[in-house]
Amino acid sequence: MIKLEHVTKIYPGTTSPAVDDLSFTVPSGEICTIVGPSGCGKTTTMKMVNRLIEPTDGEIYVLNDRGELQNVLEMDPIMLRRNIGYVIQQIGLFPHRTILQNIGTVPKLLEWDNTQIRSRAEELLDMMNMPHEFLDRYPHELSGGQRQRIGVARAMAADPPVMLMDEPFGAIDPINRNLLQNEFLRLQQEIKKTILFVTHDIDEAIKMGDKIAILSGHGTLEQYDSPAKILSDPANEFIEDFVGADRTLKQLNLIRVEEVMDKKPFLLQSTQSADEALKILDEHNRDYGYVVDSDKRLQGYVNRRDLKGKSGWIDEYVTKAATSLPITMNLRDALSEMLMVDYSTICVVDNRDRVRGTISTAMIQEALTESLKKEEV
Amino acid sequence: MPTETQEKTTFVGFWQELLDDWMSTLTSPDLETYVRLKEKATSLKTVINIGLLGLVIGFFVLTVQPPSFVQTESLFLDLGRLIFYTEADFFILSLILFVVATLLGGTGGFIEHSYLLSLVTAPLGLVIVAFLFLTHKLGLTLAAILNPLGSIGITTIFIVLFVLYGFLLLLFAIEAAHEMESHQVIYTIGAVLGSWGLLRVFAMFAAGEDNIITQESAFLAEEWARGTLQQALLGHLWMVAFSVLIAVVIGVVIGVLITMPPKRPQVSHLFFLIPLGVFFLMWAAPKGWLGMGIADPIMEVSNTLKIILTRSAKGVFGPLLSLLSAIVRKPAAVGMIGVILTVIIYALLIAGESASELTLYIAGIILTIPSIALFGVFIGPFSIGAFNAVVALTLYAQLPILRNTYTGIKEVEPEIVEAGRGMGMTEFQLLRDVKIPIATPVIMAGVRVSVVMLVGIAAIASYIGNDTLGDYIFHGIQRVQPLRYYAGAITVAVFALLMDYLLGLLQNRLTPEGLKGRR
Repeated sequence: MIKLEHVTKIYPGTTSPAVDDLSFTVPSGEICTIVGPSGCGKTTTMKMVNRLIEPTDGEIYVLNDRGELQNVLEMDPIMLRRNIGYVIQQIGLFPHRTILQNIGTVPKLLEWDNTQIRSRAEELLDMMNMPHEFLDRYPHELSGGQRQRIGVARAMAADPPVMLMDEPFGAIDPINRNLLQNEFLRLQQEIKKTILFVTHDIDEAIKMGDKIAILSGHGTLEQYDSPAKILSDPANEFIEDFVGADRTLKQLNLIRVEEVMDKKPFLLQSTQSADEALKILDEHNRDYGYVVDSDKRLQGYVNRRDLKGKSGWIDEYVTKAATSLPITMNLRDALSEMLMVDYSTICVVDNRDRVRGTISTAMIQEALTESLKKEEV
Repeated sequence: MPTETQEKTTFVGFWQELLDDWMSTLTSPDLETYVRLKEKATSLKTVINIGLLGLVIGFFVLTVQPPSFVQTESLFLDLGRLIFYTEADFFILSLILFVVATLLGGTGGFIEHSYLLSLVTAPLGLVIVAFLFLTHKLGLTLAAILNPLGSIGITTIFIVLFVLYGFLLLLFAIEAAHEMESHQVIYTIGAVLGSWGLLRVFAMFAAGEDNIITQESAFLAEEWARGTLQQALLGHLWMVAFSVLIAVVIGVVIGVLITMPPKRPQVSHLFFLIPLGVFFLMWAAPKGWLGMGIADPIMEVSNTLKIILTRSAKGVFGPLLSLLSAIVRKPAAVGMIGVILTVIIYALLIAGESASELTLYIAGIILTIPSIALFGVFIGPFSIGAFNAVVALTLYAQLPILRNTYTGIKEVEPEIVEAGRGMGMTEFQLLRDVKIPIATPVIMAGVRVSVVMLVGIAAIASYIGNDTLGDYIFHGIQRVQPLRYYAGAITVAVFALLMDYLLGLLQNRLTPEGLKGRR
């Protein structure tokens, strides 16, 4: 848990505060994204938690791993920082040290022994889906995305209960950013850290945050709420503007494919004969059907006209399906994928490639209408 | 139609093409031209190119110096003989260059290689022959032409430019013929010229020639045999090494201090009173300011140490021990310097970064003081001798180190420092584990500059009575013995180059593995 109480920061030589009377609480195990226009004091807020910047006024508490709520202003800043994970946009890996030494920075400061550091580093690389050989490489031998993963691994090295992330994916290209975000969300399911996540990108804030704190200029908190609440019920005009005119569409970010898909889809088995398949298609009044094998793995689809007057197994007439959607995908990404491949219905698969359902643009539209209805109520 | 073109290339076309090739090498002497001409290379054209040169050389030598070149009754036979010699010389040289180039990774064939070389050699050779012919006809000697102070000495400049032009053409020709990198071409030509030089020097000694090179090496050998050269070398080496070692400590400390944020004085800073007190005692007591009671024991310790050090000052470490003895016998001077340094370091600790500009400015100014003047200034407080020299050399040496330490640390990317600080490193850990290791290559570059500079300045320290290689230079000038001052100059230069090379290796060793091959 991170708790801010009436925190104010006025930089010396200025009169207007950079952060003004900020109070909010991040519950344990949740990600709180801080978002706002540039100069709104979001980074200042974050840096006050590990006292890289000293607050002018107010109190900040952090729940330590012994379950005690500690006032950070009463702690030794050096020890405090060793117990808070810290990730910055430019990563800041030490170029003269190997990946192992980089990941081992905080454990070394905490005087762990070398074998312990090594096994922890290996464990972290496993979490990040990176091979152990990386441990003996140097940062310049890694790609940008890999370095960012190491940056996150380094912050988690000593298993701190609290992490601060300052635009951690900001310097990564959009494709890799999306990948890293998804990976990190998956990781967070396991590690359940309390995270303060600074970003300037409202989409990222919605995607990553369990809670979002939106700041306006001079560090005033405009709204602190869950993403769904912020999208459906913006507190004021500033939030409305900041979230953007497409906030309805953005709600799609919050709904997963799993929640709206047709869970009992109509499927053809590859072991069926053409006659049989044709009969089933007629029953459902369809022009085509998806075909799966005995493990429910997607094989492709068949068209009615390809089967007409044919005999034998249907797998001879299967056309490979161009794409399928992972079950954890959000509706916004799913919709854009569907528009791209121009399919009206698409298969949803789990992480072992088994078909779990199908989804159509009509279902997405229905889901959106429903969430809008909820908003009106 | 096809037969006509065929005929044209075999007869008129051949000469026209040859002329074209000549014109393009002379009018657009660049790599592309040679690469293009490489396609048109044939052995016949090469032979004709060099044959033309041989013909002109033949006419020239037969006209200018008939007695030594006319050997038969027939002019044609003599001409033919000279043409043959020219061809033979060219192909032998070309072959040597070809072999070396191939060994160094050249890929061209010998025909292309020779043809491109002939396109450099023949036109330039013709110009040279024409030039020599003209001077001969005008009755000028080579000495008169080359004397840069003479009335026609301006030609020297043209000749130098011409030689450089020829060298450039040669580079292009080899680069084009073998598709090499420029540095490989330089190595090729360097290897050939270098081995020629070595052979020439070897021949000099084998034949017992009496010239400046053999005389100088005889002089050096004699000095070595008497042991005086080694002594001067060791004196020089220790003088430089000792001063640089002190300078590294002072330079790095000051360089680091002026990158730190300013500090408020704290109670713990009272620690500085300890060195300050000790140094002040060393300074004041021998002067008798505190009464003879304290002065005597200090001087006694100083004397005993001095005697021990002087007695054991033999062998390889001899000059170092003499330096140390020169230092221990001046406790007051050491104390004074100690007091000044302690005050400066404390002041910089408090001022931190705000003093960086001033510090670097002062450091820059000190560097502009001529070394001989600085030695002179220090005669006042420290009189002459090793102590004076060490102080002056240390002062010079720490400037590049200080500057490079400052820039090296300032250049560490701020996000690296922020990451370190954010993970809970103390300022000292940040400095020791992050900033200094990353700045090491830059700091070492400063040390390298310092050492090379000191090797030169230490020679001048001989002026205030110190045994270094400078002795050869000063004594040589006083006694008008060129061999002696050449010896000084050569050894100092070689010493400086050697130190630079060795420190380059050290720099590479000290550079953290992860910083090599970055970017």
